[in-house]
Amino acid sequence: MEADNQQNEAESVSSHAPTPEDEVLLASVQSILLGRERRRIVELESEIAHLQAQIESKLNKAEMRSVALGSELQTTQRALTAAEDRVRQLELETQSLRQRAQTDSEGLMARLTPVFGRLVSRRIRENPDEMAEALGPVMGEAIRVQIRDSRDDMVEALTPVVGETVQRAVAVFFRDLQRNVDARLRSTFGPGGVWRAVTARMRGVSAAELALRDSLAYEIQELFVIQHGSGFLLARYEGGGQETADSDLISGMLTAVRDFVRDSFDPTGKEPGYLDEVQYGNLRILIHNGRSAYVAVVLKGVEPAGFRAHLQRLVNDLHLQHEAVLHAYSGDPVALPDLQPRLSQFITGLSGEPPSSRSFSTAEKTILFGGGLVGLFLIGLACFYLQFTIALYPVAFPSPTPTNTATPTNTPTATATPTHTPTFTPTPTYTPTPTHTPTLTPSPTATATPTNTPTPTNTPTPTPTPTITPSPTATGTPTATFTPPAAETAGSVWVRTGPSLDAPLIMPIEPNTPLILLSVSGPWAEIQWVANTPWLSGVQRGWVPLRWLTLRSDVLPVTATPTPTPTLRP
Amino acid sequence: MKIVQKKICLLGDFAVGKTSLTRRFVEGRFDDKYLSTIGVKVSRRLIEREDHSLNLLIWDLVGGNELSQRETGYLVGAAGALIVCDLTRPETVETLKRYAHHLRVVSPAAALVFIGNKLDLTAERMVTDDTLTAVSASLQAEFRLTSAKTGQNVAEAFLRLAEKMEAS
Repeated sequence: MEADNQQNEAESVSSHAPTPEDEVLLASVQSILLGRERRRIVELESEIAHLQAQIESKLNKAEMRSVALGSELQTTQRALTAAEDRVRQLELETQSLRQRAQTDSEGLMARLTPVFGRLVSRRIRENPDEMAEALGPVMGEAIRVQIRDSRDDMVEALTPVVGETVQRAVAVFFRDLQRNVDARLRSTFGPGGVWRAVTARMRGVSAAELALRDSLAYEIQELFVIQHGSGFLLARYEGGGQETADSDLISGMLTAVRDFVRDSFDPTGKEPGYLDEVQYGNLRILIHNGRSAYVAVVLKGVEPAGFRAHLQRLVNDLHLQHEAVLHAYSGDPVALPDLQPRLSQFITGLSGEPPSSRSFSTAEKTILFGGGLVGLFLIGLACFYLQFTIALYPVAFPSPTPTNTATPTNTPTATATPTHTPTFTPTPTYTPTPTHTPTLTPSPTATATPTNTPTPTNTPTPTPTPTITPSPTATGTPTATFTPPAAETAGSVWVRTGPSLDAPLIMPIEPNTPLILLSVSGPWAEIQWVANTPWLSGVQRGWVPLRWLTLRSDVLPVTATPTPTPTLRP
Repeated sequence: MKIVQKKICLLGDFAVGKTSLTRRFVEGRFDDKYLSTIGVKVSRRLIEREDHSLNLLIWDLVGGNELSQRETGYLVGAAGALIVCDLTRPETVETLKRYAHHLRVVSPAAALVFIGNKLDLTAERMVTDDTLTAVSASLQAEFRLTSAKTGQNVAEAFLRLAEKMEAS
């Protein structure tokens, strides 16, 4: 502003013609007013000159630097060119190596294999865990891929290893099995073994199968006694297996699962029963139900025969002794009896007692009881039948009375030979069952020689006394009871009215039908039997082929009175 | 020191926080998936009393508007129950009496404590103390306000139930 005023004043002054005095005055005024500025201008001019000198200096330096950089750039460009040449050369070499690797992979692998082998070996030695962790997933995947792509090769490669492993495992298993079977066999010879054999037969298996089944290994992992509904754990036996989760929770959840299954599949509750087995892999939970509590056995393997019965006995015993407590238990252990001894007894009973001493289940007991009753009934029926038969035997087959001994038995020889007509001495031990030979001629009219006479072995032997004088008055009574030979049919045979195939048929006779042989005519025999059919009944007579008859001595014939009357001659 | 077992049940509508309360309190439990499969999950917590230990077996029943026959069977043997409602949902208070009735039918002597859960959601709370007092008084029970999220009063509610069970 001050400068502008001064300028305006100067312009107003210059608008008039200045005089020299004015100029002097003006110069003095100017020196007074513009002295500072002039000094400032001088300072600025000197500073400008200084700066110009610096600029010139720096320009010179820059030019020198530019020159240097130019030379450096040229050097770098040369180096770059050389590097590019090197790269091209390396590319060529790489390409050459790749081609060589492709064409000579075997040689390359041969060269690299020792290196990698040493490298890997060293790494494994230094840090095996790290290598295993690193290679594990790769190896697993590699095996899977290999099995997928080269199944046969893998099978071929693994068969020896797997086979040997399996063989070893099977050998161990059979060794154990053999030990168990031997132990079972040692206990076979005795009352227990016999009883076990009987029970095995009752179960429909052989004793050997039962012994083999009993020999299979099993292991009881745990045993729980659990209250119904609440799921309270009442007692627990811990076996040799690995420890399971919280047993209180297991008992609760197991109870819930049982209730869940029952309510899911039997919502009406009409079907009595609960879940009685749960299987998980090789582990099984066998559950046996009681009125107030149930027992759950966690076992591995196959339980022996009778295990369920054993379990049932445990549950029954627990309820017999402690049912009121088991039912009313509300969580206070003071009210709960010590069930451990009974559980230990159950376990030792399984391992110590032979299976034959195990109790039977209810079904088995029922079968045994029923079988016993049926046996007793059959025995009683047989006794009654025997007694009935014995009682009715004389009625059905009346035997000749000993009084007939006064009369000589009807021996045709009495008429055949006069020397055989003495007065017989009656023998009280007369037995009316003669034995016949097939060649007999039983007809009373037969004139057979004494050798052909049927000779009843127990016929009272006539003992001719020397004092006896044959007398014409000694007559054999022709009305003596005739005992014809007895026989039975050897098979089903048709009876005809005459001894010919042309004779009319009467009826067939069942095999083993007792009959009386009346006469023989060539290959035909006249018989008498008792028919008992709806269309024909009573004593019948007819002819059958002789070959269809079997003569018997133990079947009493029906007594018949022979029609012919022998004539006694002196 | 003897260990006394007590079975308690958690009842209440869906999503009132029963499982969260249980998870807060217990030390051993099965996976929650059992709730959706068989309708119950059993957990356990051992608490020390003066002269004995109390083994609380906590049966967390699946939530629903009505207990089925199966779930009613789970109440057998229960010595007590916590019946839970949601303080932000008034309709869950309506069902408290129904659950109490189911419990009394199966276990007449069971102790009872009502729980108003989700106390931390103060802005959304719609159930007053007066309402819970009225419901509890009608069933001769008492109630506690809890927050399973923060843990507030959770253990206290369980312990109160334990006291009532042992007193009865």
